[in-house]
Amino acid sequence: MLYGTGVSHQCGNCEWRIWSDFKTMTVKLTTQAYCKMLLHAAKYPHCAVNGLLVAERQRERRRDGHGVPVLYVDCVPLFHGTLALAPMLEVALNLIDTWCKENRYVIAGYYQANERIKDFRPNQVAEKVAARISENFSEATLIVVDNSKFTMDCYEPILTIFEHHENKWKCRDSTGDCCEDWVEAQKITAALLESRSYENLIDFDNHLDDLRNDWTNPEINKSVLHLC
Amino acid sequence: MSSLSAEMRDKLRKWREENYRNSEQIVDVGEELINEHASKLGDDIWIIYEQVMIAALDCSRDDLALSCLQELKRQFPDSHRVKRLVGMRLEALERYEDANKLYDSILQDDPTNTAARKRKIAILKAQGKSTEAIRELNEYLEQFVGDLEAWHELSELYINEHDYAKAAFCLEELMMTNPHNHLYCEQYAEVKYTQGGLENLELSRKYFAQALKLNNRNMRALFGLYMSASHIAASPKVSAKVKKDNVKYAAWAATQINRAYQVRERAVGTKSPLI
Repeated sequence: MLYGTGVSHQCGNCEWRIWSDFKTMTVKLTTQAYCKMLLHAAKYPHCAVNGLLVAERQRERRRDGHGVPVLYVDCVPLFHGTLALAPMLEVALNLIDTWCKENRYVIAGYYQANERIKDFRPNQVAEKVAARISENFSEATLIVVDNSKFTMDCYEPILTIFEHHENKWKCRDSTGDCCEDWVEAQKITAALLESRSYENLIDFDNHLDDLRNDWTNPEINKSVLHLC
Repeated sequence: MSSLSAEMRDKLRKWREENYRNSEQIVDVGEELINEHASKLGDDIWIIYEQVMIAALDCSRDDLALSCLQELKRQFPDSHRVKRLVGMRLEALERYEDANKLYDSILQDDPTNTAARKRKIAILKAQGKSTEAIRELNEYLEQFVGDLEAWHELSELYINEHDYAKAAFCLEELMMTNPHNHLYCEQYAEVKYTQGGLENLELSRKYFAQALKLNNRNMRALFGLYMSASHIAASPKVSAKVKKDNVKYAAWAATQINRAYQVRERAVGTKSPLI
């Protein structure tokens, strides 16, 4: 297998391109992770929101080109509104990291939905947090929600995935879908949006307002399971 | 008045007074109130039309927004306040040029109309023109120096542009006029912390402590005190005494945080992630 960007080969009269896994998704999301991310964005349509994505901790990841995709099994919604302040972000990263260790997870990604509909590029905050996460998890990705495609029916996946290449965050070809089971994710997310479950979604900001608010969102996790 | 409509009316009033942006709920409650109980509302109905109209714009319910607007236009035909609502609807439809023309006409009639000026700044924000929005808001504040909401908006704009020094300045204005507001203190501390550097960290620790004094249940202030004191204690640039003091502050904060989580555990019944 050849790695790196597309290389074309000539074989007799035919030419075929061998791509590395640039075309295959190196990131997948479970329904629970996808759902909670969208519910967070739906709860605060007038704000920027952000959060973390966690994967199961594996003792060693194979470093060959056609590795197994990173599977984001859960998402922890962080803040809404002003995202560019440091102290609470640090608190959140510490607490969530501890929780991850207790649950054999690792913080492996970051998502953000910007304030304005047509704004789908990662900004300085996104890049900084994602870089921080990469220090601990080299294959961390940065996901930006494309607000303009966000509908109640969830007809299409609305995530843009950025990966770190040569010191820049580069957008991955987003024609593939990034969910473990897209049909299930679409169905369940649409159902939860319809029933306004986002009103009960808890992010870290809500937790800081009242410690009884649980940012692991057990109730929503249960709803997702019930609908599976 | 029936208790149901009184309850709905009270809800709307609470959301209005506390400036909540729970637009879906406002539309749910407000639409029912207007459709079923209009006769019981008296003069309140006009302010409710306004509140519901704005919430309807947030929910893309142009039908509802228009019908509220029509009632208001009929009742207050020459009102600038209603004209501003017409402008907001144009903004929701992304007809920014038309909206700006409308606001300009209000300002020609009444140059002191703050609402129209703020909408123009909101349009700049919506278009992603942060630099212009900041400039216009600064100009506005030169004239209307006591407008707290505007100072707060400006601090947020600066934070989003990562201009923490100017954001801090805005929050200083707010703290000066509202020395008992723990939220301003706490936000100021967060900005100082983000700015970084030993001096700013020490300032941030002081203001987190101040916020905590004003409201001992402000968890952000408590966490902030812990983080800032810990960072100062860990800095190689501080004297032994400063280090010792900050270790003490951090330890105190940690105990308070753990205590808060224990209280929470008893209340909720489940273990929570601790530091």
